Amino acid sequence: MEVMFHSSSFLIPTDKTSATRYAVVVLNQNLPRFTPLLWEHAKLRLCADGGANRIYDELPLFFPNEDALLIRNRYKPDVIKGDMDSIRPDVLDFYVSLGTKVIDESHDQDTTDLDKCISYIRHSTLNQESSKLQILATGALGGRFDHEAGNLNVLYRHPDTRITLLSDDCLIQLLPKTHRHEIHIQPSLLGPHCGLIPVGAPSAKTTTTGLQWDLTDTEMRFGGLVSTSNLVKRDKITVESDSDLLWTISIKKQDPTRP
Amino acid sequence: MEVMSHSSSFLLPADEASAKRYALIVLNQNLPRFTPLLWEHAKLRLCADGGANRIYDELPLFFPREDALLIRNRYKPDVIKGDMDSIRPDVLHFYLSLGTKVIDESHDQDTTDLDKCILFIRDSPLNQESSKLQILATGALGGRFDHEAGNLNVLYRYPDTKITLLSDDCLIQLLPKIHRHEIHIQPSLLGPHCGLIPIGAPSAKTTTTGLQWDLTDTEMRFGGLVSTSNLVKGEKITVESDSDLLWTISIKKQDPNKTLRSG
Repeated sequence: MEVMFHSSSFLIPTDKTSATRYAVVVLNQNLPRFTPLLWEHAKLRLCADGGANRIYDELPLFFPNEDALLIRNRYKPDVIKGDMDSIRPDVLDFYVSLGTKVIDESHDQDTTDLDKCISYIRHSTLNQESSKLQILATGALGGRFDHEAGNLNVLYRHPDTRITLLSDDCLIQLLPKTHRHEIHIQPSLLGPHCGLIPVGAPSAKTTTTGLQWDLTDTEMRFGGLVSTSNLVKRDKITVESDSDLLWTISIKKQDPTRP
Repeated sequence: MEVMSHSSSFLLPADEASAKRYALIVLNQNLPRFTPLLWEHAKLRLCADGGANRIYDELPLFFPREDALLIRNRYKPDVIKGDMDSIRPDVLHFYLSLGTKVIDESHDQDTTDLDKCILFIRDSPLNQESSKLQILATGALGGRFDHEAGNLNVLYRYPDTKITLLSDDCLIQLLPKIHRHEIHIQPSLLGPHCGLIPIGAPSAKTTTTGLQWDLTDTEMRFGGLVSTSNLVKGEKITVESDSDLLWTISIKKQDPNKTLRSG
């Protein structure tokens, strides 16, 4: 079974070698405090509808000593996509005038805004490399639970695409059952709180290393044991399971945007 | 198959007839704006550890024209339970001096604070077979996702207990597969956004009535179709499924506290 490697280099201040292999998707919740760092790492930056309001309103707040207009010009999305029922007219006009591409589309009950943005990135024919970008999404958690569930489902529906959901408190990634997983932690940035969640289906056997309470061919299911409030013990975690799992780890409360 | 009825009378103004058949658990996230209303409905009020900080700090903010100390005396938890690593010392002392029962226990990785509180309620003499308490919990969502998942798992682990998770935005209830479900909506308070989520296991067949996009023996699973961004169409929703589902519906942004007190 092939090994799939996971690291969180998108939380490390940018260096030249990070090779901007990320795309950022901003959804309509409060921006995590490290959003500027994600933005710097990204080759492609999308806002899903009201996510544009968040960039417009909240990014300047991360740079209180700088002029808001300068910040808004600097952090300009490449694309705004969605049904445009949340974005404010003034925000829309502002980014249109800067050259942001706006893709207006009607609401489809089978796909969330996150879905639509991922499809855009994956099917981007303009640039072959764009279709392989790893996707970082903010604002997918919190708010209405049906929205959150729809966003978690996006991870399951695109198992071949690396998608990380990020909030101020934690990140979530899918660990497909088809691979053994090696998760590399920067302890100054991540942890120690973590969990493995069998959201879609029970797991008859999961085995881990590197956790405070490791699993050994352990059964996990809703209604029984789910690995939550676990702790990372080492810098490398391994997971092998017969079921797709969601991996989640807490993000430390510091300001990684400081170089 | 027996019918299980669901309503949200805890969001209606409290009166004699609502018979105080609820227990309230406050966890450590921002209080929903209707927390005073839930408090009025409850026969038993618990704070899980840092939830006591929330009651102390945030409840007075709902009553800006009243004296904070008066409010804190009025909204006094019956019990504070947990490992006490989040509650502030000043908050703990305040409620101790008012007579709140404090139950200090060490951290157990298999059970969340919500779990511990539910066990307390189940064993409470106020909870009798003849009139079981329904549990309302705030602060179970948001924050760390592993916490949230552990709290959702609590619903699955106590399928015989009616537990509702509440936030400012929505509520979540478990619909056990062993029952047909009738969900009664007060449209002035709830909806229209809703969803049915097969957390834990796929559903081969789910059938609904009363939704904008009803399901008819429809398969639902993560990786495929999950009913999200649905809409309630009427005041009664029915659900029948071969799998346990989470029902979620949005809570309207208004202040139901305005009806709390007359005059």
